[in-house]
Amino acid sequence: MRRYILVRIIHSLLLLVGVVIITFIMVRLLPGDPIRAAMQQNVDIGDDNIVKEVRARYGLDQPVHVQFYIWLTDFLKGNWGTSLTSGDKVTSMFWRRLPVTLELFVLATFWAWILGIPLGIISALKRNTWLDFFITGGSVLGIAIPVFWEAIILIYIFAVILKIMPPSGYVPFFEDPVKNLHCVLMPTFVMGTQAAGGLARYIRSSLLEVLGQDFIRTARAKGLGEKVVIFRHATKPAMIPVVTIVGMSWAGILGGAFIIELMFAIPGLGRMGLDAIFTRDFPIIQAMLVVISLNVLIANLLTDIAYGYLDPRIRVQK
Amino acid sequence: MTDPAIAQEFEPRRKSTVGFKAVMRTLFRQKLSIIALIIIVFLFGLAVFAPLVAPYPPEEPDFYNVLKGPSAKHWLGTDDLGRDLLSRVIYGARVSMTVGMACTIFSLMLGTFLGLLAGFRGGLTDQVIMRLVDMIMIFPGLIFVLVLAAALGPGMINIIIAITLFGWVGVARLVRGQVLAVREAPYVEAAKAVGASHWRTMFKHVFPNCTAPLIVAAALGLGGAVGMETGAAFLGIGVQPPTPSWGRELRTGFTYLTTTPLFSIAPGALITLAILSFVLLGDGLRDALDPRLRGIMKKR
Repeated sequence: MRRYILVRIIHSLLLLVGVVIITFIMVRLLPGDPIRAAMQQNVDIGDDNIVKEVRARYGLDQPVHVQFYIWLTDFLKGNWGTSLTSGDKVTSMFWRRLPVTLELFVLATFWAWILGIPLGIISALKRNTWLDFFITGGSVLGIAIPVFWEAIILIYIFAVILKIMPPSGYVPFFEDPVKNLHCVLMPTFVMGTQAAGGLARYIRSSLLEVLGQDFIRTARAKGLGEKVVIFRHATKPAMIPVVTIVGMSWAGILGGAFIIELMFAIPGLGRMGLDAIFTRDFPIIQAMLVVISLNVLIANLLTDIAYGYLDPRIRVQK
Repeated sequence: MTDPAIAQEFEPRRKSTVGFKAVMRTLFRQKLSIIALIIIVFLFGLAVFAPLVAPYPPEEPDFYNVLKGPSAKHWLGTDDLGRDLLSRVIYGARVSMTVGMACTIFSLMLGTFLGLLAGFRGGLTDQVIMRLVDMIMIFPGLIFVLVLAAALGPGMINIIIAITLFGWVGVARLVRGQVLAVREAPYVEAAKAVGASHWRTMFKHVFPNCTAPLIVAAALGLGGAVGMETGAAFLGIGVQPPTPSWGRELRTGFTYLTTTPLFSIAPGALITLAILSFVLLGDGLRDALDPRLRGIMKKR
């Protein structure tokens, strides 16, 4: 097991190096001159000497590989540069916004689990009944519906017609916990829907497969109650493939944060990243891409480890 | 007593369970897939025949009738510039359907080629291609497409390139898996033994075995591509105004949600309908193309 984990960690680190290089190249491909764009508001951009000086200050006059080296060493030291538009330190901007997105992320995952897992189990147990069809249909809809449309429908029903939910806005948790939860209820639900649908579908098919196996028949044959059979014997092996889906859905939830934070006016990392893409704010885009990929890599790594832990065959094989 | 499975083997079959006809028969037995297929054909029809179907030209403003609700003249109402919403939604199908189709076709081509190459060649080629696949898969799709499309600039071609550069990854992984499964099969060995070239073996003997999962991947990929295109358009990346597109329509309409809800709800409904149909069709095709499931379908 230790060897297995070690191999996975090394693999992830190598991937991280590749991803960092790719993001660096992608960000350098962004057209337009960020320095001129940033200076437009306050400095006379007609003066080439000033432009040159500012460019040198940001290290943008160096060849690309030198820029990469400078950026990487700075990044590892915790110096993520300064925003080209606001002039703030990228790290402090990140720390200020991280708790917001983290809260959305945790609650969205919570929604996905609390809806997806029980619904998947119920539809497997009530296979081919109207309840099953209803849940299966609902989960396909959950997978297909784009977050922005779901958000609009929910805002229209709960904020415009019923007026029981705020249409947008955000209050920090430590300022007013009740208001905070009230604000994030809808956005996190929307963020979690897709993952919930995928989870329910996956659990259904996985549980159905397990329920058809010999050891379940044995458990029933020796006279165990249906509850014990399902919850003690069937659920654990059925959850093994589900672990992968949980890990994979994280990337999707993160992607959804971009749209959701914009629509609900939530000042999180997604909003910052989106603004940065439009203003060509290199340092922020770069840091954002690295943080996101690091996040997904860690999620994948944990998934692999959990998988190996739950399924002894994988541990032994590798 | 004979084994029922063996007995079945020797029973004369009236209908074959393999081949194109059997696939179509199973597909048509699932009502949902048929409904999905009809909706898809309908949406493509809208896209192709938009000038004939749409009651008004989509880019013609009418400043006396701005943000009006549904009426006999304008079934869905008008937008912020007084343009007929129904016409704009109908024309919007063009962008989404074109981008969806183009992305799926290019992703399939690129992914199949690289997947075949990786699986068939193995060694360093395999390592390089599959590590690239792993790296791209790390990014959330929408964010990858957004940054790339922003780098490439606005326009339909660029959004197609961006989505394709993300979409080929899943296809390549799928094809490589299939290739690995059949690479050592006797018929591939036989093809090599009679002197078939690398390319011939790859495309004539190995590739046909990947078609079934690829068809399913194509249907699901279409849904994914439409979702990404509309998502990017919603965020303002991709096709630029005044060209009508569902994602942009939705974004503008969102601002006027309290006054004219149909402005954003109508294009969103079509986006959801399109993606839902592609997903359902993909599911149906998966069941129809899997020979193991074909017998079961009858019993249900």
